Amino acid sequence: MANKSNIRNFCIIAHIDHGKSTLADRLMERTGQVSERDMEAQLLDSMDIERERGITIKLTPVRMFYKAKDGVEYEFNLIDTPGHVDFTYEVSRSLAACEGAILIVDASQGVEAQTLANVYLALENNLEILPVINKIDLPSARPDEVKKEIEDVIGLDASNAPLISAKEGIGIDDVLEAIVTAFPAPDCNETAPLKALIFDSYYDNYKGVILFVRIKDGKVKAGDKIKTFRSDKIYEVVETGVFAPDLTPKNGLSAGDVGYVAASIKSIQDVAVGDTLINPDFPAAEPLPGYKKVQSVVFCGIYPLDGSKFNDLKDAILKLQLNDASLLFEPDSSVALGFGFRCGFLGLLHMEIIQERIEREFGLEIITTAPSVSYKVVKTDGEELFVDNPSHLPPTSEIEHMEEPIVKADIYSPPDYLGQIMDLCREKRGVFLQMTYLDKSRVRLEYNLPLNEIIFDFFDQIKSRTRGYASFDYELKGYERSKLVKLDIMLNGDVCDALSMIVHEDSAYTRGRTLCENLKEAIPRQLFEVPVQAAIGGKIIARETVKAVRKDVLAKCYGGDITRKKKLLEKQKEGKKRMRRVGNVDVPSEVFMQILKTNKD
Amino acid sequence: MAGIYVHIPFCKSKCSYCDFTSFPDKLCYAESYMTCVYREMAMRSPELKNYTFQTLYIGGGTPSVIDENYIAMLVAAAKKYFNLTADAEITIEMNPGTVSTKKIETYLKCGVNRFSVGLQTAVDSQLSDLGRIHNLKDYLNCAKLLKGQNFSADIMFGLKNQTVADIEKSIETAAYSGANHISTYALTPEDGTPIYTDYLNGELPDGDEVADMYAFIVKKLRSLGYERYEVSNFAKRGKESRHNLNYWKRGEYIGFGVSASSCINNVRMTNTFDLDEYFKCILSNHLAVISREEIDKAGQEEEFIMLALRTAAGLDLEEYTALFGGDFTKKYAKQIQNTREYVEVTPKTFKIKDEYLFVQNSIIIEYLNAAD
Repeated sequence: MANKSNIRNFCIIAHIDHGKSTLADRLMERTGQVSERDMEAQLLDSMDIERERGITIKLTPVRMFYKAKDGVEYEFNLIDTPGHVDFTYEVSRSLAACEGAILIVDASQGVEAQTLANVYLALENNLEILPVINKIDLPSARPDEVKKEIEDVIGLDASNAPLISAKEGIGIDDVLEAIVTAFPAPDCNETAPLKALIFDSYYDNYKGVILFVRIKDGKVKAGDKIKTFRSDKIYEVVETGVFAPDLTPKNGLSAGDVGYVAASIKSIQDVAVGDTLINPDFPAAEPLPGYKKVQSVVFCGIYPLDGSKFNDLKDAILKLQLNDASLLFEPDSSVALGFGFRCGFLGLLHMEIIQERIEREFGLEIITTAPSVSYKVVKTDGEELFVDNPSHLPPTSEIEHMEEPIVKADIYSPPDYLGQIMDLCREKRGVFLQMTYLDKSRVRLEYNLPLNEIIFDFFDQIKSRTRGYASFDYELKGYERSKLVKLDIMLNGDVCDALSMIVHEDSAYTRGRTLCENLKEAIPRQLFEVPVQAAIGGKIIARETVKAVRKDVLAKCYGGDITRKKKLLEKQKEGKKRMRRVGNVDVPSEVFMQILKTNKD
Repeated sequence: MAGIYVHIPFCKSKCSYCDFTSFPDKLCYAESYMTCVYREMAMRSPELKNYTFQTLYIGGGTPSVIDENYIAMLVAAAKKYFNLTADAEITIEMNPGTVSTKKIETYLKCGVNRFSVGLQTAVDSQLSDLGRIHNLKDYLNCAKLLKGQNFSADIMFGLKNQTVADIEKSIETAAYSGANHISTYALTPEDGTPIYTDYLNGELPDGDEVADMYAFIVKKLRSLGYERYEVSNFAKRGKESRHNLNYWKRGEYIGFGVSASSCINNVRMTNTFDLDEYFKCILSNHLAVISREEIDKAGQEEEFIMLALRTAAGLDLEEYTALFGGDFTKKYAKQIQNTREYVEVTPKTFKIKDEYLFVQNSIIIEYLNAAD
């Protein structure tokens, strides 16, 4: 396809669960990219976790051909994007490779916080936005109100927005036609020196790092020399191709194309996503605008359940990082948990997914510690440092003051739940900014909230207090000075470093008490009594006791019972293997993570 | 030392806690069943001709529910097909609601010399909750018939509404009625039994209460002259059950009838739990075995430790060395160190301290799969 005016590069943005992947599937089906017979639900979500959870984590590009009503055949490059707030970083990457964005809005739920966040991102990237109203087949659909909402809240003209049902296949042709008319063809210069945006990459065992690129200017083909703008390493292109949707070799990519480049690159660290690919023989003078560097928001410790598996865990994390540059880690050690890693994540979901992938894809059993954020510590000697691991906090005497990360949170909810939301935000030390009525049934609340309050159980709480009606999004705002203390947990008199956490002074007492109560339930009774204490700077603020076990025996064990008894004991032993011995107390491995849930129910 | 076990899977009615193999509605098959048992004995006789057996235990179900002549024939068959020593301990389990003078006379005449009577509790309302067919009066009557005989009484604790005073009454009833051996079993609510509902509804005493009851039982029985020789078993001096001690010493045994297990030459075999299947197998001259497990050296050692630690005497160190080689206390030095507060090493034995016998699982697991 030589004619670049027939190319449309676009992505789909939407709130989670508004039907993004389903629409993508439908588009591919209608353009004959995949036959209906081969259709596996949610084709672009290729990871098991993505399909199971019904979410998209990795962005996935695909090429399609569409013959429009004007009789011309167009090439569509669709870049699917993750919908969850944690993956805003990935979204921004795919947006930079497109000219247009389809904005899906659920016909019954209307504009959600995440919708708005992604729209702003798209606008920042100068993308044309095509609103599409999905799920019109639902009895609760209210397309006219939602159209009005899009116009009022986002300020987009939605009068011609296609009304569709991706699930039922209604209105798909309207969308295809609108893509042709609403989105511009790429603006490109094939004769200029090569400039290609690397918007993603992954590691292939045979071909090395595969770069996902959008060619802005120039051309690239097998045999060409390439380098990235910010690195001096030069590689020779082995293969180029397109996404159809599997990697399909095509010799030569030129301006306007979306495709991939393989150049025997050994390590994903050598080529930063967001960097610009150039030809060292004809180097472009300026790089393409990149996007902000990934920033870890949530941190936690990951340790192997079986201490001897440290190297296996290291391999697993390294392999995951090959395909996920946003995963940061460094070696760490804990008195209670031994050797492991301190990892940084984009958010809680990202953290959960990485944990799950380590366990599933590498068959490793791991212990994770409670999530933490990064605190700024200003020492009395003026030195400033960031601490994300409570056990690395300098002694109190050396701390002049501490600062914690604050986020600006947008909460969308029906007005009925305002009271509950405001109560929750108050409990979480939120500072109210403003409230806007979007229409009769939707209110937008804006709060400043400490990030460390959000990573505990804010999501669960807001969902349960509003029966799932409210949606929530946040962005990092900066650091604010705060009265923070280190809360230690002592098991049988010994501090368990893996359970320490940094909390606000005012909530330390409540949290200490809840922690002790939760631990009392979570720690199985041992052969001796175990005091569980919470302490700040050596001063005990709460105490519970895990009573000693008094009955643990099989009443009868005669000839026919021996096999059963043996199996029972083996099971008990297995259970014990899932625990960590802290001092002389056996603690179930999931405790380290789950103990944060402040509510027992 | 080796023992013979025969399972009689019949009873008058199923008790509410029972998950043993027993068929209350199939008593009419007793004759066919016993014929099959004799036949099963005949089938296994040749392979065991070099063995000597010191005990025969007839359990169930309720062995006393079937015609006593079958029992007489059973004992005769056991003597015919196997080398049962002249002084063999021959025990039969009895339900106090199914005894008669004639039955006991027949048992004694054929060679039965030990009786195990299911008293369970001396409180009638609790007996009826358990679905037992007898009451306290039946028990006392049964005990009268057994006067002067070597007999044991079973008592259960952890029952719905049971108090320590109830347990005391049950123990005293057993002791004063002449039992020289008492077994006390904590009620184990098994899934699928009617009592499990009580358990799910929290109507049964919890673990701590049961532990209190057990502590009381140990103390009370001791005061009456019964020494604990295993977690659930107490006896006057010299009146321990030889048949059961053989299990805890990991001796060999052979079982006949539905659901019975054998362990000969480190091969454990279990018969089918299905009565029809049992009939079909035996009548077509096949053993009715549904599972067969060869126990390797490591498994033997594990079982040896696990079983020995159930007993008050504990593990005999010399016996260990003779069976497995090496010095137990050296081989398990790390485990002994980890559990030092709960175990006791003497020059001849290794045992769980008396006060920790009731939490032994947590201790024993430290000694399992010691290699990892």
